Amino acid sequence: MDLSVAGGTGRWDEVRWSKALNKVPKEIFVREDIYRAELQKIFYGPQWHGVAHEAEIPNPGDFKTFQLGEIPLLINRDKGGQVNVFHNACTHRGTQLEMADRGNKLQFQCPYHRWTFDTTGRLTFCPAKGEGYEPGFSYDKHPLPRLRTATFKGLIFVTLDGATPALEGYLGEVAGVLAGIMGGDGRLKLIGYHKTRLECNWKTYADVDSYHAPLLHKAFAMFNWTGGREGVQHIVKPYGHIASTSLLTLPEDRGASMLKDTSLLEFRGEDPRNGSRVVKMFPMFGAVKHLDVINLRFTNPIGWDATELHYAYFAHQDDDEAMLKHRIRQSSNLIGPSGCISLEDAAVYHRQHIGSRTPGTIQFQKGVQSTSDFNYSFSQKDEASNLIKWEYYRSIMGFGRDV
Amino acid sequence: MVALDELQLRYVDALDRRDMKSWLASFSQKGEASYICTTAESVEGNLPVSMMLDDCRARLEDRVTFITKIWAGTFQDYRMRHFVQRIHQERDGDLWRVRTNFRVTCTPIGRDQRTDTVAGVYEDVVDCSGAEPLFLSKRAIADDSVLPRYLVYPI
Repeated sequence: MDLSVAGGTGRWDEVRWSKALNKVPKEIFVREDIYRAELQKIFYGPQWHGVAHEAEIPNPGDFKTFQLGEIPLLINRDKGGQVNVFHNACTHRGTQLEMADRGNKLQFQCPYHRWTFDTTGRLTFCPAKGEGYEPGFSYDKHPLPRLRTATFKGLIFVTLDGATPALEGYLGEVAGVLAGIMGGDGRLKLIGYHKTRLECNWKTYADVDSYHAPLLHKAFAMFNWTGGREGVQHIVKPYGHIASTSLLTLPEDRGASMLKDTSLLEFRGEDPRNGSRVVKMFPMFGAVKHLDVINLRFTNPIGWDATELHYAYFAHQDDDEAMLKHRIRQSSNLIGPSGCISLEDAAVYHRQHIGSRTPGTIQFQKGVQSTSDFNYSFSQKDEASNLIKWEYYRSIMGFGRDV
Repeated sequence: MVALDELQLRYVDALDRRDMKSWLASFSQKGEASYICTTAESVEGNLPVSMMLDDCRARLEDRVTFITKIWAGTFQDYRMRHFVQRIHQERDGDLWRVRTNFRVTCTPIGRDQRTDTVAGVYEDVVDCSGAEPLFLSKRAIADDSVLPRYLVYPI
């Protein structure tokens, strides 16, 4: 294997997977040719990708930009209140239409030749009204292309493939936990973001497990905070989505032995059964509820060796002022790239990425009941639950397995 | 203004040395003393969640605990160099409101890494009522909405 650049020996689709089901070849994390294939088979293939929540664009004209693989997206709410997801490119010469991360516009004008689109994506203006253009030219023939979209409790999913099964079936058992994370009804209010660039392959980020939490994140031990009680992981076949639930527990002293401001670990929700929830979908979308933090994670690969992660934080529309302030303060300092219980993740992802340049396989152990058969029953702290997702990945990429 | 600059230099020197005790000492002892690290996107979008939201003296002290005790030994450390330039100041009784541009390089200690840069502006309120000027509030606003990897230390 070439250890200096992204690449490997031989054709990418000849990479063989071990007979042992708990092993994954490291090569797949560091080959650019595999990343190019993943774009086609996964990111542009028959999967749903969470890209936004309607609460990020609550008013007519609100928009945000994002990417699906390498395709720039323009996500907006039109004048009629409808949510749309367009290709973020002028239909004339392909110029990126909108550059801002977020904003509010009732029309999008391309600076190159001033073609202009309204909030529904309809072309509304060309210089000279199209005079001298191709025969039969009309505005109606050149709207912004739309992606196929579906929403769940305001969470917006997109797919480029018309054959992708309906979202409801794709979500499966994840739906209930996801709804719980979003306050049950998805009536959310955006309160902010943490955006960070991880120096790792997208699959390294997507492969995060709950086994590591009390081991890597020292805060749990220091606060004498043992979570995961009565925790289980529900697996959605065949995709390997994971919906994890566990009873919320808190340190007995609320962290007072370490912290001057114990509001960081305060739980003001009414039901501790809904205090700790995690959803990890294939390929990348994630959602987390820790204490009173409502967090949706919109993630996208930036090439084969980097991943952009947008933590979006929300309050619920029914929150009073005190709860709103609490969520803002807790969201800022508890998780994310400077979060008390999560800062360490990004450094480990990068070290995993570097280590993936060595030959061989990574392995899973915690929760593995057999290396020749898959099981689907996992406790909250098992890492082997990720193997279902890995098998789905292997099958759609077409990698062979040793027998 | 010399005193304002001296305070700012004490602050950035503390961070460049990763000396969190000295960092904390640059803030007022008052309960409302605060440090916020956020992005221009969040400020312009009226989005209050911040990368670091230490809106009281207790949280400033907890920031030091995060770095020196809770996270110690768990992350790849990095060296920082802060470059600052005061661009505006305005007096309000015992308080000075000061804007200062910053550029911070973060260079991980170890192999296979690159130097990241964060640029932006400090919006500070300096309390000059005591024996020496101290920050009553400091808000670091990064220009880039996507920050590199992770931020262990305040900017």
